[in-house]
Amino acid sequence: MRPILEVSGLSRIYGPGCPRCIEATGPDAERNVCPHCGSIVAVHDVGLRLMPGEILGIMGESGSGKSTVVKLLNFDETPTTGRAAFFDGERTWDLFGLNAAEKRWLRDNRMGTVYQNPHLGLNLDISAGGNIAERLLMSDVLSYGEIRERARDLLARTQVPAIRMDEHPRRFSGGMQQRVQIARALVTNPPLLLLDEVTTGLDLSVQARILDLILDLQERLGIAMIAVTHDLGVIRLLATRTVVMRYGRIVEGGLTDQILEDPQHAYTQELVAAAL
Amino acid sequence: MPTPKSSLPPRCELHSDVVLELKGLGKAFYLHEQSKSVPSASDVSLEVAAGTLVALVGLSGAGKSSLLKSVYRTYLPTHGRILYTRTDGQTLDLATAPENEIIALREREIGFVTQFLHCLPRQSTLDVVARPLLRLGVPLGDARERARTLLNRLGVLERLHDIGPATFSGGERQRVNIARGLIVRRRLLLLDEPTASLDAATRDKVIELVREEKAAGVAILAVFHDTAVVAALADQRREIALPTAAALASEVA
Repeated sequence: MRPILEVSGLSRIYGPGCPRCIEATGPDAERNVCPHCGSIVAVHDVGLRLMPGEILGIMGESGSGKSTVVKLLNFDETPTTGRAAFFDGERTWDLFGLNAAEKRWLRDNRMGTVYQNPHLGLNLDISAGGNIAERLLMSDVLSYGEIRERARDLLARTQVPAIRMDEHPRRFSGGMQQRVQIARALVTNPPLLLLDEVTTGLDLSVQARILDLILDLQERLGIAMIAVTHDLGVIRLLATRTVVMRYGRIVEGGLTDQILEDPQHAYTQELVAAAL
Repeated sequence: MPTPKSSLPPRCELHSDVVLELKGLGKAFYLHEQSKSVPSASDVSLEVAAGTLVALVGLSGAGKSSLLKSVYRTYLPTHGRILYTRTDGQTLDLATAPENEIIALREREIGFVTQFLHCLPRQSTLDVVARPLLRLGVPLGDARERARTLLNRLGVLERLHDIGPATFSGGERQRVNIARGLIVRRRLLLLDEPTASLDAATRDKVIELVREEKAAGVAILAVFHDTAVVAALADQRREIALPTAAALASEVA
């Protein structure tokens, strides 16, 4: 089976960089700031393969580079080096070789991102329905009636009450803002969804509803997802396969049950032991 | 002259086939924090043919569960090979097969029933049991119907079907786990003490269900704490010895 996304050699260095940056940072050096030149090696040599319909977990604590991986894949940031191929039906997109217009089109039509902070994924000063319509207007356009219909359908799917469709998400609870964000990300039926700490900071009961929603969407729509989180519970629930990152590198990857029950790397063993 | 396929009854053909072969399989856990290796099973070789059940027996701590988990890839084996023969006759080593192959095999061909029910929270018991069928694309109605039938056979009361197993007793949860494990007919079934907290009547029902799996040609590798269950189901008993002093010494060194 062909993957939907294949990433190799992905790196992002903030700062001038020097020949010793790589060897002086990473899990063995236990730092991501190069002591020689002060550059931050946020991500180095990350490789991923995501299969259609699969949820891949990226687990790590803050500073591991996991969120940077998402930002690189959705063009919020530009990689220092690396390749990423997005196999979208008949088309193959060389993600880091696209021009600005192509990137925008892909982001508006074929990929969705849900951020930890709803402010990043939503415009809080236009209505919930408007947030969804806005994204549809950026995509290959439909009629007004269709847009409103689709917005209504998605909000229903993500359990946002229809009567609140015309309200500004600023007034919504954190959990409901997150559901509007998911609806907005899904509006163009993207085959690929990036989830960056989507349940972090929410109440447990709200987390549960968001996670159920994500699983339901994955099961019914077959969307492939990358779920970035520091939370082992989220990984256990969502991800079939998981990679563990520390100081910008992948330290190990495998089937999620194997990573949690038989972790190989010292760092993963520590993480799993700390959670039990 | 090619032999026409119909000349061989498919059942007989299946029964003679080895589905799983362990060759020198061993598992040790390396604990980084303590800089030491903890040996579990070591140097186990055995074969499981279609339609037969091989029971792993031995003292607690000998690594019986570790072997099952290694076959399922929940553990990464330290030594040896786990040769699995697919329906198409091709053999692959489960210890090293790509993750996506293992995921596909888990959905279609290899089942694992443990003592403990791990399932998605907030789902009805019926849906927990039906889920493996749904993953294979069986329509919801049909999947739920088969789930209901299995749960009934295992004596899980109808009034429990629509609520989640979170509040169930140990025995009820175990029955739900068995139903979910058997709802898709596998080629290879791994059983890790699935009858541990069941009463005698339910245990007999499980024995009956496992016999049906064997009769259908399923290869089974199992651990039962109950010798009566072993006697009732096993075609072969394999004693798994505790890690020897030599193994312990070599792992530490």
